[in-house]
Amino acid sequence: MRPIARWAAAAVALVALVGSTAACGDDSGDGPVTLRFTWWGNADRAELTEKALDAFEAEHTDIKVETSYAEFNAYWQKMATEIAGGSAPDVLQMDYRYVREYADRNVLAEFGGSTRVDTSKFSQSLIKGGTVGGKVYAIPMGQNTQEFTWDPAAWQAAGATPPADGWTWNDLETAAGKVSASTGNKVRGVVDFGMIEDWFEVWLRQQGKALYTDDGKLAYTAADVQKYWEFTDRLRRSGAATQADVTSKVDGSQANDPVTQKTAASGFGYDSGFTPKTWEIMGREMKLAPFPTSGGDLGQYAKPSMLISVAKRSKHPKEAAQLIDFLLNDKEVGTILGTSRGMPVNSEIRDAIGAALTGPPKVAYEFEKQILPKLKDAPPPPPKGSGAVKAAFQRVYDDVMFQRSSIPAAAEKFMNEAKQALAA
Amino acid sequence: MSVEERIRVPPATPVGGTRRHHRYGERPGIAYLFLTPWVIGVLLLTLGPMLASLYLSFTDYDLFTSPEWVGLENYERMFTEDPRFLASVWVTLKYVLMSVPLKLAAALAVALLLHRASRMTGLYRSAFYAPSLLGASVAVALVWRVVFDNGGPIDRAFGTGGWTTDPRYALLSIVLLAVWQFGAPMVIFLAGLKQIPTQLYDAAAIDGAGWWRSFRSVTVPMLSPVILFNLVLETIHAFQAFTSAFIVSSGRGGPSDSTLFYTLYLYQKGFVDFRMGYASAMAWVLLLVIAAVTALLFRVSRGYVYYAGGDS
Repeated sequence: MRPIARWAAAAVALVALVGSTAACGDDSGDGPVTLRFTWWGNADRAELTEKALDAFEAEHTDIKVETSYAEFNAYWQKMATEIAGGSAPDVLQMDYRYVREYADRNVLAEFGGSTRVDTSKFSQSLIKGGTVGGKVYAIPMGQNTQEFTWDPAAWQAAGATPPADGWTWNDLETAAGKVSASTGNKVRGVVDFGMIEDWFEVWLRQQGKALYTDDGKLAYTAADVQKYWEFTDRLRRSGAATQADVTSKVDGSQANDPVTQKTAASGFGYDSGFTPKTWEIMGREMKLAPFPTSGGDLGQYAKPSMLISVAKRSKHPKEAAQLIDFLLNDKEVGTILGTSRGMPVNSEIRDAIGAALTGPPKVAYEFEKQILPKLKDAPPPPPKGSGAVKAAFQRVYDDVMFQRSSIPAAAEKFMNEAKQALAA
Repeated sequence: MSVEERIRVPPATPVGGTRRHHRYGERPGIAYLFLTPWVIGVLLLTLGPMLASLYLSFTDYDLFTSPEWVGLENYERMFTEDPRFLASVWVTLKYVLMSVPLKLAAALAVALLLHRASRMTGLYRSAFYAPSLLGASVAVALVWRVVFDNGGPIDRAFGTGGWTTDPRYALLSIVLLAVWQFGAPMVIFLAGLKQIPTQLYDAAAIDGAGWWRSFRSVTVPMLSPVILFNLVLETIHAFQAFTSAFIVSSGRGGPSDSTLFYTLYLYQKGFVDFRMGYASAMAWVLLLVIAAVTALLFRVSRGYVYYAGGDS
């Protein structure tokens, strides 16, 4: 085993070295400019992004764009180290959850002046998702909303009632139970959703609650967590939802998702990220439905699927803004990228590409269009430390599904960890 | 910050350890010249960062903004209000207590076999040593994850279910990975075995000692310095284990914190939660614990280690 301590020490030293040299270079002249652009996603999205960047470089011969991408969790771990080491990329894909965290920590450049990006054709409520203290630090790249992906063939074979507008959590329980039963529990009806804070949020909003208050405190109690987990626990115990050792492999990547691995017939997700190859990757054609409710509010909202920011330390903020403007407002690029990062935010591009879409992106587009009138505004960006809260939600749920602690005790444990994470 | 470099380890040659003193008395400058690359490395890459981390351990530091002095708060929080810290200590202790004895036993057993074998020993030695070459390798850990996954080869062959995804067995699968990599201590044991004078075995045989008796009364005492050396080294390594748990659990230490090694939690605190000050404090606590355990091992060793050197 390699001594981690030595590795960390070397990293710190490197950080110090890089930090001191980064301040020396200055190439603000007129020579060719190289921008570094990093983002998260899969190989599918990478292909489309490279095509879009080729188009940008063809038009701006004096700018070169270097890219790298990683899967979501790895992306954010790398980002923190890079920024601390003074080697932040010029342009970085940003998540709604981290906007406030990074803006508060003085990492992001404010948009405006020489870094102007045309947002006149964007929905203004979406812009709020990248606004902290009245200043825009991130611009939405796409819009998405929560959805339920389900396998119509499995539903039909099991004789289950298909999800439809206004369906309920009890309907989900019944249908998923039937799917599991019809396959002899080989394929479960639904991926256990007890560990994902995002779906818990929708469930809270359906009851008029929220994850965070406007001043960034927890807006729910241990009793809420307990109730939610009691429901998902019941689904797992009855066989309707995936078993613990399958669920514990869920890490946010498409490859490790039980729906992709065909150990589950449905699951909750976001309607961004549907590319022409999605059905091929999943091995079957899926359908999208809104969340089940308890008979009242839908609880879903229009969310910036991802945003894009310029690093404060970038030496080419003007060119970085040009790149962002091109990616979001150029019609040709809009056609290339399609819905790979969610619905385009530019309404003209959205309408233009809508007609030409086929396959999975078309399904997502139709779903989003149909559900749009029912969506509420997004809550303000979550507070600093919210990333740790989300991680704790999933980790503590492990205790529930592996039956290592009672549900009330687990809910209590989670609340304590969440409060600690937000305290600093 | 690796501890083993600063711990005085007794010579691995138990018998006839001759000490030669090289003298560079006339031109010490040359010796220092050749030492320079190493000295620069130690100062810049080890000592400097170590001192920096000592300072950071008394601060609240989030990587992006300047560190803020908080005194002993990080150290206090660890033991008073962080149940995950205590959980990680427990997981690490279990790992050390399981993996080190098993690994040393496997290493010694195979070394004894190879020591006797007369043909193709070189080939066997390389074959058994190969896994340790891949010790810190990400690839092996990935293979392990697939092999012990649910639906993986082990599950399909024995119906054991997924070990890496079950909190009861996840740690065990990582212990197995460590034991499998017994090559390094094995090679050291082999060298030690070759140093044992054969006349001792002959004398024992004449006195009527069987295999077990001569193993217990000749091999083990003569090998005891080497056993101590391997024990110390492997214990230190086990406390610092990181890669296998990181890869097998996708960096989470799961399921249900069952593979949350100390170093993995340290990493999470520093690079996921951005609490570098707390992580630095954890690193120093680990250093102190390893130093204390090593001192204890040496202390206990006085009772069983036989140093033959110097009188032959």
